[in-house]
Amino acid sequence: MKSDFSPYVPRSATLVSKQELNELVTLFEFAQDSGKPLAHRPGQFIQVSVYGVGEAPFSVSSPPRTDHNNFELAVRRTGSVTNALHALEVGAKIGIRGPYGSYFPMQKFVGQDFLFVAGGLGYIPIRSVLHYMLRHRDEFGHITLLVGTRNPKERIFTDQLAEISKRNDLEVLETVDTPDHGWKGNVGVITTLFPKISINPETTNVATIGPPVMYRFVIQECSKLGIPQNRIFVSLERRMKCGLGKCGHCQINGLNCCLDGPVFCYTDIAGLGEAL
Amino acid sequence: MIAYTIYLPQIKGLLKKWALELNIYVPTMVEKGFFEFRPWNDQVEIAWDYDLCYTTLKKFILPPRENIIFFDMKKYSASPVTEAPKQLLFGVHPYDIKAINQLDQLMEMDSPDVNYQARRDNTIIFGLEPVHVAETAFWSSMNASKVDLGYDLYWTRISPGAFFVQVGSARGEEMLKVEGPVEKSNFTQKEAARRAHLKILAEAEKQTLKFDWSRTPELVNKFFNNRTFWREKAKTCLSCGSCNLVCPTCYCFDIQEEADDLLQKGRRYRQWDGCMLRGFAEIAGGHNFRDNAWERYRHRYMRKGKYIFDKLGELGCIGCGRCVKACTAGIANPRKVYNEIWEAIKNEI
Repeated sequence: MKSDFSPYVPRSATLVSKQELNELVTLFEFAQDSGKPLAHRPGQFIQVSVYGVGEAPFSVSSPPRTDHNNFELAVRRTGSVTNALHALEVGAKIGIRGPYGSYFPMQKFVGQDFLFVAGGLGYIPIRSVLHYMLRHRDEFGHITLLVGTRNPKERIFTDQLAEISKRNDLEVLETVDTPDHGWKGNVGVITTLFPKISINPETTNVATIGPPVMYRFVIQECSKLGIPQNRIFVSLERRMKCGLGKCGHCQINGLNCCLDGPVFCYTDIAGLGEAL
Repeated sequence: MIAYTIYLPQIKGLLKKWALELNIYVPTMVEKGFFEFRPWNDQVEIAWDYDLCYTTLKKFILPPRENIIFFDMKKYSASPVTEAPKQLLFGVHPYDIKAINQLDQLMEMDSPDVNYQARRDNTIIFGLEPVHVAETAFWSSMNASKVDLGYDLYWTRISPGAFFVQVGSARGEEMLKVEGPVEKSNFTQKEAARRAHLKILAEAEKQTLKFDWSRTPELVNKFFNNRTFWREKAKTCLSCGSCNLVCPTCYCFDIQEEADDLLQKGRRYRQWDGCMLRGFAEIAGGHNFRDNAWERYRHRYMRKGKYIFDKLGELGCIGCGRCVKACTAGIANPRKVYNEIWEAIKNEI
C-alpha cells in the first residue's frame, strides 16, 4: 500500500501563552497551526512532540470550547520532553497527534450530580471535565470537588480554585497531606474529606484521578457512601508510546489504556489485577 | 486446490528469475544445528530440512529498527516514511506463517499500521512443510501445524527430487510459471504430500500441551492471582528480554528519535521493545506498573495465553520453542508453564 498518510505524523501547533502553576508545573496554551479546534472530549489525551527530544502523552486540561480554538496542557517538569516543553518560549512550535482514547460520557451525566476527586496532578484532566460542566452549569445538578495535594507548595490552579470556591453552585474542599506554617485548611489524605461532604448516592457520578495509590481508597469511600460501581469513573496513567494500540506499553491486563482508556468506568476494570 | 509439481533442478532457474525483482531470503545452516534466513544467491545452500530458524521472520516485516517519520525542526513539519522492499521469504514453516497471520490481524486492528502493511504487501511468502521438529518445539498442540492462508505457495517435499507446490495466491502461481508451463500435480503426488504432513505431525506429537489448546485462556486466567506460582517460576528471571526478542508474535516497540548535528532535521524511529525489560511499564515520576520480574513474566504468559486469544480467537503462542532455547535462565517455556497450570487445576478438582 502506498500512502502519504501515517498516523505517526504530528501536526504543528504554536505556544500562545505559558503560566507557572508551581515550581514544577506550568500551564501551556497552544493553538493548532491549521486554525482548527482540537476537537477533543473531556478526558482524552494527545501525543506531544518536541522534535529532537521526543514524544509523550498528556491529558488535555482545558474543556472543549466552541468560542476559540486554543487548548491547554498542564505539565510537570520531570523528564526530557517535559523539560523541553518548559524551555519553550511563546511562539515556539510543537507537534501534536490525537486526541486519543476514551472520554467522560458527558451526556450520561446530564441532570445528575457529580463528585470530583482529584489527587495531585490528577486535577489537570479533571479540570477538563469540571470546566465543561461549569460552562454548561444548568445541565448538571449538585457538583462537589475534592482536591488533595501532598503539600501547599505543590498546589496547582490556586487562583482558579479560589475563584470557583466563591461560587455558590458548587462545593470545593481542599486538603494537603503535609501542611506548612501558612496552611489553614484541612490536613490529611484525600479520603479525610469524605466525612465532610453530603451527596445523594442515588444521583451522583464520580470522576477520580490521582496517583496510582489513591484509587482503591477513594473507590472504597464511594462504595461506603453507596455510590454504585457503574457510576464511578477513573482515568488511568500509563506509558502510551504510540497511542494506537500497537506498542504494548500501556497494557492493563488485556486492555490498551490508549484505546480502551484512559477513562474507564470502574465496572470495566474492577476485576483486572493490573488496573488499580 | 491448485497444485503443481516442481523438480529440484528447476528451482535454481526460478530463483534466479525471481531474484531479478525481489530480495530472496532462504533458510540456511549458519552453524552446526543453527539455521537462519539469509539472503539467497546461487552459492547459498538451502536447508530444506531445517527444524527451526533461530530468529524470527517478523524482522522482515517489522524490522528491529524502522524509521517512521522524518522531521524538520526549522519548519516544524514532518513527513511519513514507509520503506517496503520487495522480498520473498522462501521456506517458511507453518507455525511461522501462523505468527505472521496474527501480526497481520493485530496490525490492521483499530488503527491500521501503515509501515507494517506496506512491508507486508511487498512480502511474498512461500511456505515449506517441515521434515524435522526442533527439540524445544510443540507447535502441533498449539493449532499451528497447518495454515490455510498466509502463503503465496506452499511447498512439500514429496521425494528427494520433487516438491508438491500448493497455490495460495495468484501472485504465487504467476511466479511459478515465470519460466514457462509447469507440471500440474496428479493424485499420487497430492497423496504423497498428505502423507508427508502426517509423518511430520506424528513426530511433532512427541512433545505437546497435555490438554486442548483452547482451554489455555481459561486456565491461565484462573492462575492470574496465584502469586506463589508466578514468583516461583520467575525467581531466576534476569529480565533480559531474550524471550521477547526471539518470539515470532511479540511486536511491542519503543519510539525514539535523533536529530542531526545542526539540529535542523531528524528522524523518529521505532525499535523492538520487550515487556520483560524492567522499564517497560514505567511512567513519568518513576512509578512502575510491573516492577517485579514475576509480574512481567506473568504478563507475558497472560498475553500469549489469554489477551491475544481475546482479540483473535487463537493463542499468541504458536509453539515454535524459540524462547525455550533463548532463555538465559532456562525458565521460559510456555508448554511447561501451561502444563503445570493445567496439572495444578486438574488436581484441585
